[in-house]
Amino acid sequence: MGVVLEVQDLKKRYGSLEALKGVSFKVEEGEIFGLIGPNGAGKTTTLRIIATLLTPTDGRVTFMGYDLKKHPEKFREHISYLPEEAGAYRNMKGIDYLNFMAKFYAKDEEEVKEFVRRAEKISGLGLRLKDKVGTYSKGMTRKLLLARALMTKPALAILDEPTSGLDVINSLEVREMIKDFTKEGVSVLLSSHNMLEVEFLSDRVALIDRGVILDSGTPQALKEKYQASNLEIVFRSAVQ
Amino acid sequence: MKNFSHLLIKEIKELINKQLVISLILILVIFNFIGSVTKSEMKKSLAKQKIAVLDLDKSEISKNIIGALNMANFIIEEKSGEKDQVMKEVRRSDLDLLVVIPPGFGQEISNLRPAEVETFSFLRGISMSGSRKSEVVKALLQTTNEFLSNEYLKKQLPNIDPKVLKSPIKSREFIVVRDKVAEGSSSVVIGSLYAQSFILPVILMMIIMYSSQMVITAIAMEKQNKTLETLLTVPVSRSSVVMAKMLAAGIVGLISAAIYMYGFRSAFNFSSGDIAKAMSGVTPILKQLGLVINTQGYVLFGLSLFLTILVALSLATVLGVLAEDYRTAQSLNVPLVFLVLVPYFISLFADLNTMSLPAKILVLAIPFSHPFFALQNIMFGHLNLLWLGIIYNFLFMLAMLYWTVKIFSTDRVLTMKLKWGKKKVVL
Repeated sequence: MGVVLEVQDLKKRYGSLEALKGVSFKVEEGEIFGLIGPNGAGKTTTLRIIATLLTPTDGRVTFMGYDLKKHPEKFREHISYLPEEAGAYRNMKGIDYLNFMAKFYAKDEEEVKEFVRRAEKISGLGLRLKDKVGTYSKGMTRKLLLARALMTKPALAILDEPTSGLDVINSLEVREMIKDFTKEGVSVLLSSHNMLEVEFLSDRVALIDRGVILDSGTPQALKEKYQASNLEIVFRSAVQ
Repeated sequence: MKNFSHLLIKEIKELINKQLVISLILILVIFNFIGSVTKSEMKKSLAKQKIAVLDLDKSEISKNIIGALNMANFIIEEKSGEKDQVMKEVRRSDLDLLVVIPPGFGQEISNLRPAEVETFSFLRGISMSGSRKSEVVKALLQTTNEFLSNEYLKKQLPNIDPKVLKSPIKSREFIVVRDKVAEGSSSVVIGSLYAQSFILPVILMMIIMYSSQMVITAIAMEKQNKTLETLLTVPVSRSSVVMAKMLAAGIVGLISAAIYMYGFRSAFNFSSGDIAKAMSGVTPILKQLGLVINTQGYVLFGLSLFLTILVALSLATVLGVLAEDYRTAQSLNVPLVFLVLVPYFISLFADLNTMSLPAKILVLAIPFSHPFFALQNIMFGHLNLLWLGIIYNFLFMLAMLYWTVKIFSTDRVLTMKLKWGKKKVVL
């Protein structure tokens, strides 16, 4: 498997606050890579930089051979980003929102239809897609947004806290959606402070705290290394 | 280009929402209501007025006056009896005006002594027709006075024209504009120019205010609904995102202002016919003075207006970035509104040319000032000032656009906030 994304010594400063102090990791083709850490660890900043929303203070990010600083447009063409607190246009119908977003990525009308059909399937929202987004529950909106992020089969889907604020049932459904999606050979970079969720989803994980990667590897390897029964205990041991 | 038009359509659809359509319909309905009430009041005031007259004199002269009132668009209801009793009677009726000709009125006039006529206006509210009645009676009495005094002078000095005797000095008025001179009244010329251009500052103000409000709201709503981050990661240039928002706000702002002005015009009875009527007598004088705007003038005015709208939109875009939600967007629009209102009121009530230099510089530093004074500058040949305004606004617009696109291309689009206290950063 080849490397899709490589992050090297990434640093980000907000005034006097050093949010990232040299983060490095790689995401391989077709894998789910999880960034886990507590609130304020630097997960969202890392994802926002890769999604071209923030500019790094230092370090290098390459995606499919393209450098982030030189070719941010190439990143936008091939990645899909789902922010933690994302919303959709409340006055649009769900189906119109998917259509609107699909048109940015599709080559022609046929491809737009194909993307939307896929999104309909992923979201499982059925006839509710014909209703305005403003009438959706939080769970439905999240499913719509996740379907939007995955419908174009991006080379890399960046999902920031994908189950944030969802109830147990909706969280389980969203996790299944992500698992199913990677069966089609695309890569996912996700972040969560829910370490059990990341353990369930990810092929490999990186533990991040205060802007530094503490350790990385497969969940199984990390559990063995720290002699822990789950990733929460792994994280606690790594921090200590 | 495909993505830009795609974005533009979305922005226009977002802006033309139910709330905007309802508010515009309400504006039309309200203005229509005001217009119909005003029209009916005007109609009432111009229709034959019914007035009560109590003639306690019964002389030839008093009868002549009543006859003259009858001729002058009044329906006379003659009363008889005691004055107090008649007043009570009129108060109970729907009549609004009572004219009392006291006893001895004719005798006083015949003896060349001033005589009095009493008019009682019964106020039952504040309306245009109520105020007009007593004014018309006053004008009528003035005419009667003129008639009586002329008759007297003719009798006493048959060889002299009473008009010459009463106004021995006559004046001829001339107006000078630069090197051109024309005979006419300056007040009439200024009045007609004012009537012609009165509506313009209102339109201007509405366009600028509506458009800037639209763009601030559009960006604030993206932030409030948490859609901005997603939009900024799709494969479309940041300048397209900015331009689509600005253009959509400009288009919807223009449509809203046009609807507002249509309602405004119907409410206050402005029509091109009215303006043309008001202008018909003055037009030759205006032409003689070179105060008529030609095609080139209108092109320059259009250019000044276009650049000003772009400045407003780019300024509003930056303000929109500072807004966190719809509520803050509303308050951020206030300084912009003030910047539009200052030149608006100055253009209505003051002359820029007679202002002190610091005040003039201050007014002209506001980019919105220039189109308000553009027509005046064109008419009075202050073309340097006009071009200066156009160049100033062009440079201002370029700087603002550059700044706006720069903000949208960096972290600041997400981190810039008008917040007191410490800046909050999501890690």
